[in-house]
Amino acid sequence: MTQDFLTAFRRLNGVVAILVGALLLVCAAFVLLDILLRQVGSSFGGTDEISGYVMAIATSWGMAFALLELGHVRIDLLRSRFTTKGRVLIDLGSMLVLNGTVTLIAVQCWPVVATSVANGSTANTSLETPLALVQIPWLAGWMWFALMGWLTFVGAVLLVSQGRFDATEKAIGAFADQDALL
Amino acid sequence: MIVYVAAGLIALLSLSIPVGIVLFLIGLGVDAFFSQFPLIRGLGNLVWSSSNSATLIAIPFFVLLGEILVRSGVATRTYSALDRWVSWIPGGLIHANIATATMFSATSGSSVATSATVATVAMPQAEKLGYDPKLFSGAIAAGGTLGIMIPPSINLIVYGFLTQSSVPQLFLAGLVPGFGLAIGFVILTAVICVIRPGLGGERRVFPFSEMVGALKDLVPIIVLFTLIIGTIYKGWATPTEAAAVGVAGSLAIAAFFRGISVPMLTACLSGTIKITSMIMLVVIGASFLNFTLASAGIGYELRSFLEDMGLSPLMTILVVVLIYIVLGLFIETLSLMVVTIPIIVPLVQAQGYDTIWFGILMIVLIEMALITPPVGLNLYVVQGARKSGSISDVMLGAFPYVLVMLAMAMALIAFPQIALFLPSVL
Repeated sequence: MTQDFLTAFRRLNGVVAILVGALLLVCAAFVLLDILLRQVGSSFGGTDEISGYVMAIATSWGMAFALLELGHVRIDLLRSRFTTKGRVLIDLGSMLVLNGTVTLIAVQCWPVVATSVANGSTANTSLETPLALVQIPWLAGWMWFALMGWLTFVGAVLLVSQGRFDATEKAIGAFADQDALL
Repeated sequence: MIVYVAAGLIALLSLSIPVGIVLFLIGLGVDAFFSQFPLIRGLGNLVWSSSNSATLIAIPFFVLLGEILVRSGVATRTYSALDRWVSWIPGGLIHANIATATMFSATSGSSVATSATVATVAMPQAEKLGYDPKLFSGAIAAGGTLGIMIPPSINLIVYGFLTQSSVPQLFLAGLVPGFGLAIGFVILTAVICVIRPGLGGERRVFPFSEMVGALKDLVPIIVLFTLIIGTIYKGWATPTEAAAVGVAGSLAIAAFFRGISVPMLTACLSGTIKITSMIMLVVIGASFLNFTLASAGIGYELRSFLEDMGLSPLMTILVVVLIYIVLGLFIETLSLMVVTIPIIVPLVQAQGYDTIWFGILMIVLIEMALITPPVGLNLYVVQGARKSGSISDVMLGAFPYVLVMLAMAMALIAFPQIALFLPSVL
């Protein structure tokens, strides 16, 4: 049951990653078109600015996917010397610290967006992009990262309480165990 | 403060907390203990401004380019073509690892992407042909570091961005040292394998006709390199925009070889997002740490430390090299660059050294940091592509190549023209 949920989270984030990746691809096409247009003396203008927004949004929404795919780099020199039980405890501890930090980041990002919304701020560029328009999806990505982190943590704790250490390690283990998942 | 920061880094990293998160935590610690102002209020704005960057979007583009080349089979073809040409040298296929890494460095902007690319195609061969895993995987990790030296290079883009120096000039300056290192790796491997034949594999000599036939498989990579570098030097595109050109070029090449399908594309996209997010968590964490360190006055602390020693310019450079070697053991490389550039570069400039030249020297040292444990990202990337064995194999195998890099660093100090000749004539 718990494992079904964890698998579902991973699938869901897989879909998110592909959508975000597609956004990058569209951005690349846009940049390419702009280069071609410049050759004939024209330009969209502002591709730089839009690329920046795409990067910010893609980054924040990809974070949870990287987490569930065990993509975030961890140093496992000490960790790898423990037994499965010890490793799982370290993983749980590390996950707790990660979730705490990410939640703090999301909370600290909130005022950035709140200010942009309250002041109706626009970018200091010729496009005058309303910042709320791009910052709300960006913040949502960080909140999603925190949410997924906590849900996975709860799932992992449940698995541990059932004594299923191997399954827990597959869900929240470190970099080197990646292949077990593929 | 420096001592506390270093101790905190080592302690938290050894607890297996993700590297990016550790950087945030140390930043919060610096804020709590060493700063007069509540720096945490800047956290939100920093996370926004460091990820809202048109320069950094080159990272996912270059990663995607690499993914497309691997998953469409172009990488495998390149690898086997180079195998035909270099496997007669003592060490056999290990030279194909280095040669493939060199070629891919010329289309990829990142070392992680280069080593991931080569490791994915090479590792199955190592098991099949019975190579010693140490030197074999070490050569991939070391060869992969060329990705940030041979243009295009994400790290040089970041360096140029932070020091306001010309990225195209940096790219030119990186060419000779980059290929020099590759040749150094090949010579070293051959020497090691002559002394200890057990470390290499079987030497294979292919018929000349087969060698010539294999040349056509190198064409796609050469075309791609020309496309990316050409658009930059023609002035048609910025280095970041050239990354988008590279993505389009690699898609066209993949399509030409009928290597494109929906599952292949989705795998490329999700792989790109995974690697990009991994890098960006570290970059954002480093920007926050950088901000807190700068606000708490680390620049002043370091500068007064160096000035108090009253060193000659040459000694200053040697001390800087030593600092990078030590820090490189523990700090992830992009973070290392971002954290140190604002402090070290003005110091080096004040001693009369050239900024472009120092960028290249720094890249050699950063390459070294990529393959020195405990924190050497390339080691982990190569280990990630292996199906079995311990990470310490890769660490041991990469060590001899560290010596080549050290030699290159010394050569650059003795003969700055190695880096500066090309930018001065072109």
